[in-house]
Amino acid sequence: MNSEPTTLLQGTLDLLILKSLVAGEMHGLGISRRIQQITGGTFAVKPGSLFPALHRMEEEGWISSFWGDSENNRRAKYYRLTKPGRKQLEAETRRWGRISWAIGQALEAS
Amino acid sequence: MPFFVKTRSLLRNLFLSRRVEVDLDHEVHSHLELLTEENVRAGMPPEEAQRAARIELGGIEQVKEQVREEQLGSWLRSVISDCRYGLRQLRKNPGATAIMVFTLALAIGAATAIFSVVYGVLLRPLPYTDANRIMAVFEVNSKGGWSHLADPNFDDFRDQNRSFRAITKYQYGVASVSGASQPSRTAAASVSSDFLKVFGIQPILGRDFSSSDAKKGAGPTVLISYGYWKAQLGSPRDLAQAHLKIDGAVYSVIGVLPAGFHFPSDANLWLPTDLGGENPSRTAHNYYAVGRLRDGVTVEQANQDISAIARRIHNTSSEQGDYLLKDGIVLPLQDSITGTARSPLLVLLGAVGFLLLVACANVANLLLAQASVRGRELAVRSALGAARARLVRQFLTEAFLLSIIGGGLGVLGAYWGVAGLVALAPENLPLLDSVSVSIPVLVFAFLLSTGVAAGLGAFTAARATSGDLREGLGEGGRGQAGSQGSQRIGRVIVAAQMAITLVLVVGAGLLGRSLMKVLEVNPGFRVDKIVTMDVALPDADDPKSKAHQAIFFSSLMDRLKQIPGVRKVGAISNLPMEGGLPDGMFLLMTQNEVPKAMDGFVPLMQQKERLGSADFGVATDGYFKVLGIQLIRGRIFDEHDGPNSPHVAVISQSLAQDRWPGQDPIGHTIEFGNMDGDLRLLTIVGIVGDIHDYGLDAPPRPTVYVNLFQRPRSAMTLTMLSDADTQSVTSTARGILQDLNPEIPPRFRTFSQVYSASLGSRKFNVILIGFFGIVALLLATAGVFGVMAYSVSRRTREIGVRVALGAGSADVLRMVLGQGLRTIFIGVAIGIAGSLALTRTVESLLFGVTATDPLTFAAVTLLLVSAALLACFIPARRATKVDPMIALRYE
Repeated sequence: MNSEPTTLLQGTLDLLILKSLVAGEMHGLGISRRIQQITGGTFAVKPGSLFPALHRMEEEGWISSFWGDSENNRRAKYYRLTKPGRKQLEAETRRWGRISWAIGQALEAS
Repeated sequence: MPFFVKTRSLLRNLFLSRRVEVDLDHEVHSHLELLTEENVRAGMPPEEAQRAARIELGGIEQVKEQVREEQLGSWLRSVISDCRYGLRQLRKNPGATAIMVFTLALAIGAATAIFSVVYGVLLRPLPYTDANRIMAVFEVNSKGGWSHLADPNFDDFRDQNRSFRAITKYQYGVASVSGASQPSRTAAASVSSDFLKVFGIQPILGRDFSSSDAKKGAGPTVLISYGYWKAQLGSPRDLAQAHLKIDGAVYSVIGVLPAGFHFPSDANLWLPTDLGGENPSRTAHNYYAVGRLRDGVTVEQANQDISAIARRIHNTSSEQGDYLLKDGIVLPLQDSITGTARSPLLVLLGAVGFLLLVACANVANLLLAQASVRGRELAVRSALGAARARLVRQFLTEAFLLSIIGGGLGVLGAYWGVAGLVALAPENLPLLDSVSVSIPVLVFAFLLSTGVAAGLGAFTAARATSGDLREGLGEGGRGQAGSQGSQRIGRVIVAAQMAITLVLVVGAGLLGRSLMKVLEVNPGFRVDKIVTMDVALPDADDPKSKAHQAIFFSSLMDRLKQIPGVRKVGAISNLPMEGGLPDGMFLLMTQNEVPKAMDGFVPLMQQKERLGSADFGVATDGYFKVLGIQLIRGRIFDEHDGPNSPHVAVISQSLAQDRWPGQDPIGHTIEFGNMDGDLRLLTIVGIVGDIHDYGLDAPPRPTVYVNLFQRPRSAMTLTMLSDADTQSVTSTARGILQDLNPEIPPRFRTFSQVYSASLGSRKFNVILIGFFGIVALLLATAGVFGVMAYSVSRRTREIGVRVALGAGSADVLRMVLGQGLRTIFIGVAIGIAGSLALTRTVESLLFGVTATDPLTFAAVTLLLVSAALLACFIPARRATKVDPMIALRYE
């Protein structure tokens, strides 16, 4: 049903969400905008990918959620990083580092 | 921690789903508002802002659905919703559902019940430690037949083999036991010293036999079963004072075996063999043998080992002849116990498998009919985006629900069915006690139900969801769904059903005809009005005790004759239909040739022209009169044949023809002392009719009968021909025996009980396979009816048009019947071909008919075709009643 081809590699979205939450708790739209910002506008995360990922990660225990008020006093669901989430971020970061290094090597090889 | 979080989320998703949903709804809406707000801030007019936000969000419901799919337990939730939906579907057609559930319950229940018998008898390991390492050992004679072991042969097997950790010989019988709480006839085995080692057990109390217990002249000792120790001896901890009088001799109880241990069969007492010394003959086959294989030795290796020893004996023995072993064989004990029961049980299992197929075919047809009605629903779901896999899953779920409900009911039925089967099963079916609905049987029932579900579900789903479902939207409006394709497949199923049913009913027919043929056999004796009484006196070898045995039986019979209503009394060593008489080789001999001792016979045995073989029975003249066995020539025993007058014998007609063709055997003398140790010659004085004493389906055996009063014996069965009530004869006879010797427990039966028991296994098969055949026939008839009725209802409009165009009711009838007949004939043709191929498997169970008996085939085909035609006729008649006006307007 998801006819939109995802532009993100499997697992990358989790990493970006975790990374964006390091700055502090945020609601969904905030996370989406933050990802846009920190990737220099390369990735635009659609709600259809964002929300399933958020719910899955919350079920994994990496992030937790609560209802709060937005800057304009609207009710919004906020997410924040948990301790296992931080660990996961570290692990994912290391993994990503290895992958990008390896891909870099591969592409440079003649 | 993560595990805890996950579990909490899963439980939340499953049990607080409403709250999760509300939360999700709020979240998505709030996201939409935030987006709108952002757009407004960016300077869009409010309406434009909202539109842009919705576009970016991409559909509230879709987002929610995507989240739901990611949630933990989403799969489980969808299965539950499939089940709910499935149950709703099943409830919508309560009639069809009830029929399907009942059909499946019947078939799965029957299969489970039969499997529980197969499992209990053939598959369940025997209840001994590492039972698969316990082997039975037999001699193989020159004709390839298996026989028991002779003492010296067993000794050689035991001493020379390299395959067995322990090997033991045993005999088995019923002993008269007193000294316990009351005199009883108890199953007893005599076993050689390593018996317990073979079975890997130790006495729980007392000790095993020591080597001195088994020596000639040792003080008699006995091991007893746990159950006997408790029930008959009152569980004494100290065995020092425990004694039993077994067949007249006093035995010290030296040990109690573990609870539940019984072997052979239901033995409760184990005595040492050879208290009277071994029999030196290599052709006196008196013992069974079992052994436990050494670790790492295969059955194959053990076979080669024993076979080599046997051939060595064969090559070196002085006792050459048909009765000397030529080879040896080793096979797992379980196979040797269940040997003859195997093929009938497998045939039963096959039959119930066929029944299951026929039942599944009916259910498949009903499901298909429903599925084609649901074409519209499927089209709508498919149009709304349901993937084909999802629809297939829905069908699987429904089939699964049906099978599990049917299977559950079936298993409940099987509990009841197994009790019935055990009651119905022939007494000689081995290991009957271990038949029950056990865990492996339940696993079987579950796997069977699941397999049925998978098959039915996959089949219906494949049929219902093939092609472009969306076409259903167009066609559906006309009430003409149930396309040609699904009707064709329905007919294929019905044809297959007919074919399978035919095979099953042919099988039942062949077995039924065999039973009738068996019953037509003249047994050679009378069955009615005979009361039998088994009496075993203390065993004895010395002439004085033997003379006493004769006197005892004589006075017992004199008093039994006095019972009011009893007309005649006789006695025989073994009743017919109970495994027959022992057999052996006799010698034609004249008075002055008789040697003084057994050893002298060995060279005579080499003279083929002297040899004859026959069964050996000990009887009184009354026995022939009670059973109505015909005297053909000469005379039967009379009062002049005393112990000291010349010993006489009566032979059966077949022996006279076999051994003295074209001569008169009367007056000839034979030596048959190897059977009872009495070397006096027997003069043939009469010829009596043959009797089928090995069972009606076995040919009569040549037999020599000797006179009980000349050749006394300790264990006899008395036969009383009586017009009086069995109950009163029995109690009077019991009183008489009590009066003569209170320590001897008799066993009473009527001869007709013995006789019917010999037909038990045949009747068992006929009843069960006949039952399966009838059920399959009903199911197949219902299947034909269902498919034809469905086809007619689907073709109402077409028929209406035909009638409107001038077709008469005869034309319509012919059209519908013609269609049905084609299906039936194809099914019958395949069925006949299948039967010809498959009935060969029941050949060994047949009697008097061939596996391709034309009469059975013709009768069964006729029966099946008429039943199916009847099933076609009802819908066909309905088709002729179609009113074209209504049929066309109905559109």
